[in-house]
Formats: sequence, C-alpha cells, structure tokens
Amino acid sequence: MNGSTLRNGLSGLLPWILPALFVLAWIIVSETGLAPTYLLPHPEAVGRAGFTYIFGDPGQGAYAGRFLSDAGASLFRVFMGFSLAALLGVPLGVLSGRTPAVRRLLSTSVNAVRAVPGICWLPLALVWFGIGFKTTIFLVALAAFFPIYLNAASGARGVDPLLLQAGAMMGVRRLRGTFAILLPGAMPSIMTGLRLGLGIAWAYLVLGELTGVPDGLGAVIMDARMLGRIDIIVVGIILIAVMGRMSDLILKFSLRCLFKSARRMT
Amino acid sequence: MKPRLTVVSPKAVSGVRLPILEVRSLTKVFRSSHAPVKVLEEIDITAAAGELICILGPSGCGKSTLLKILSGFIPPSAGEMRLDDRPITRPGPERCVVFQEDALFPWLTVAENIAFGLRGKGKDRRAARREVDRFLSLVGLTPYRDYLPREISGGMKQRVALARVLILKPQVLFMDEPFASLDAQAREEMQNLLLSLWAKLSHTILFVTHDVVEAVTLADRILVMDKNPGRIRAEIPVALDRPRRRDDPEFIRFSRMLHDGLRGSGEGNLPGWP
Repeated sequence: MNGSTLRNGLSGLLPWILPALFVLAWIIVSETGLAPTYLLPHPEAVGRAGFTYIFGDPGQGAYAGRFLSDAGASLFRVFMGFSLAALLGVPLGVLSGRTPAVRRLLSTSVNAVRAVPGICWLPLALVWFGIGFKTTIFLVALAAFFPIYLNAASGARGVDPLLLQAGAMMGVRRLRGTFAILLPGAMPSIMTGLRLGLGIAWAYLVLGELTGVPDGLGAVIMDARMLGRIDIIVVGIILIAVMGRMSDLILKFSLRCLFKSARRMT
Repeated sequence: MKPRLTVVSPKAVSGVRLPILEVRSLTKVFRSSHAPVKVLEEIDITAAAGELICILGPSGCGKSTLLKILSGFIPPSAGEMRLDDRPITRPGPERCVVFQEDALFPWLTVAENIAFGLRGKGKDRRAARREVDRFLSLVGLTPYRDYLPREISGGMKQRVALARVLILKPQVLFMDEPFASLDAQAREEMQNLLLSLWAKLSHTILFVTHDVVEAVTLADRILVMDKNPGRIRAEIPVALDRPRRRDDPEFIRFSRMLHDGLRGSGEGNLPGWP
C-alpha cells in the first residue's frame, strides 16, 4: 500500500544523496585533519562565513551582508548576456536551419569562431570595453550564443516536412507557419539550447568578473583569494552552483508557462 | 509488353453531376543522376462533384506522387489540372489531404488540431468551437478532445486527420493510403466511418490505395494504375449497391476479378464490368 509513496519519497531524496555524501566526506576530511584548514576550511566555518555573507550587517566584517548586491549584479549580467545571445541565436538558428543559403553563409564562420576558446576573447574584450559590465556581458553573450544557435538550427532542420505540408494544405502561409508550426516543432531543441546556453552563461560570468569588477559573485571569489579567505571562496562557489541550478529551473518553468509546445513536448 | 486493358465506358452518372476536378495529360518526370525517370505519363482524370474515386495500383506506380501534384506540393512536368475551372498551382484548403503517416501537430490536443485550419478564417470563437464540437462528434472523438496525439491510437489519429480537413469544407479530399498502417479491424472501422461521413457531407474524394478490397468497398469508380511509367490502365465503375458487405458473393466475385485482372498479364483484359 505504501510502496508507491515510499518509492516517490526515495526518488525525491535521490538528487540530495550526492551533495550529502560530499558534505559528509568534507566533514570527515576536516575533522581528521587530513586537509589543513588553510587549504580547506571546516564546513562549520564555511557555514558561518556564508551566513554572515548573506544575512550579516555591512560593517560586521569584510564580506558581511554583501550577498544581495553581489548576486543582483551577477544575475543582471547573466540576464543581459543570455538575453542578447537568445535574441540573436534563436532567430538566426531557425533561419539557418530552414534556409540552405543562410546555413551556407553562416556555418563556416560560426564554426570557426566557435573553435576559439571563450577565454581568448578576454584580452580583446578588456581592450574594447574596459574592465567591468560591458566586457562581462560580451563574454557571456558570445559563449551562450553557440549552443543556442546550433540547437535552434538543428531543431528547425529536424521539423517534419509533413507538418509544414499539412499546414500549407490547411491554408497556412509563411508567417503563421513559422510561429504556429516551425517554432513549436523545433521547441524541444530550442529549449535544450537555451538551457545549455544559460549554464555556459554562468561560467563566463565568473570569467568576466574575475577581471577586477568591484561587485558580483566572481569578484568576491577573486577578492577572497587575494585576502586568503578560503571560506569565502567556497561560499562563492556554492552560491554560484545554487543560483545556476535555480536559474535553470526558472528558465524551464517560464518556457513551459509561455509555450504549449514546451509544456507538452518536453 | 503488356496489352492495353480495355477501358470500359464510365458509369452512367445519374442526373447532372458537374465535373469538379479535371486532369489532362498530366506527366511527371523526375531528374535523377543517370537519366530522367518518367513517373507519371498522360494521366487523365475527371471527377464529378460528390464522386468517390479510388486510384488502385501497386507500390511504386506513382499514385502518391500524383496526389502530391494534385495537392500542389510538387509541380507537374506537363499537363493541366483544374479544380472548379481554376488551375491548381499551390496547396490550399479547397484541396485537403489526409496523409498516410501521422501528420498531426504533437503539441496540440485533438480539439486544437481539428481547430487549427479554422484560425485566421475570421470565425468568431463561439462558432469555431461549435464547429469543432460537431466534427469531434462526427468522428466519434468527443471524449478525447483534450488528449494529445501521442496518447491516442493510430486509428484515432487518422480520425483527427480526417476531421481537421473536413471542417475546412474542401472541394475535393485527397486521401493517400490513409488506413494502410492500421490493423484490419481499425481499417474496416475507418472505411465505414469514411463512407458514413461521405454520405452525410457528400465530398468529392480521391482515394489512393493498393488494397483491392478497400477500393471495392469504397469506390464509385476505380482507376487502375500501372507502373513504369505510371499511367491509368483501366477505369472500372463499381456498380455494387451500397451499403456494401464484404461477405456478399457479388462483392467477393468483383474483388477477385479485379485482383486477377491486376496481376494477370497474360489474359490481359479486365472484364467489361458489370
């Protein structure tokens, strides 16, 4: 009778097993002194540092209470860079997926640029845009563009021609066909691309922020390294992991709210 | 070379039935890497309004290509085709197709799939909903209106495919082996459903099949196709009374004759029927 509830409970627990094991290993390593605290602080110390960082009053200590402004700054940069990448990547991808001429025009260049590791753009971006906001957004947008573009293209290419024929026979012209058939048909791929792009956006956010901006989660990590605050570095890493995961869930949820095709096909 | 089959005189149509679809000397040549392949040669078809015509032929005879040309998806190499005296140039809702494969939109429910073609036709929502309800009940899918295509059976999918085009009131309906992938029982059900809808709504239907029994069950007139090149070899009116029963001796005799005629190259002539 309780078999299924038990199974549901277990599968709800499943995602937390690895993090729990990880924390356990961390505690053991710290308690037994296998790792010295100047390399890896005790979880409790990290917890306290995290608490002060998030909930403390500014003035209580070096990093106290900075979380909201840092997270806000980082989120804003990710959002701007990611939106830019999505606004360019989805239409261009769909276009190149459906139009051989556009595909031939773009594919060589896109693949060449894609082969350049994103970090190579950092020096150039610093020269062009200076340290800070614009450089970070440039890097985030550039890196997030490729998975979004490529997945949108393959999704659009993979839409069953029969569906487009069915639309044509029911009197659907180009424009409505694009929005009523092509985009929904490509939606699962577009969604995959957006989620991959968002993940990469967080990675390049930190890269952009490492260069000496005053606020942001990446900046805090870099700053803490110079001051030897390993606990704050760990706090920063954990917070980025949490926010990355949460932004992925929010993206998935909002796509499902906005589009029937995202809700019903993924 | 196969002897040409004699073409019997077309069924004397009762009353004045105007030809609605006219196809003259339609030819299609595909350019392949070696040599051009003639897929269709000199096809002539005249369909009267309300007629149910089956095009019967072996696989590879170009019957699907013929429907693709008539529905406007691919252009013919030569020939003329007119619907209601207007030349056919591109796909349009006055010539609807029920495809062999599942071509429903997987992100729309049964009701939304049926309503798809109505959107953008200036119908107000209440009227559109009434229409959708009516066609849902005509094809017997009212309880399934909110199901997604992946949640219903193959036979139900083809009912949706039928309803979503019938709701557009096409002047002719092209059906490309629509029941070929269904099991025998579902196929028979669908044939009966099609006939009852046809009786109610009296569409003009061009139905492509390779199944002799299906053709004899449905058709007013059967056009038998040959392959290499695809052309119409014989035109056979089916004068069996409706509703037809598949176990009726007349029905069986007719089917067998047609069947033998299709295979028989030696004796050649399909009998002058009836």
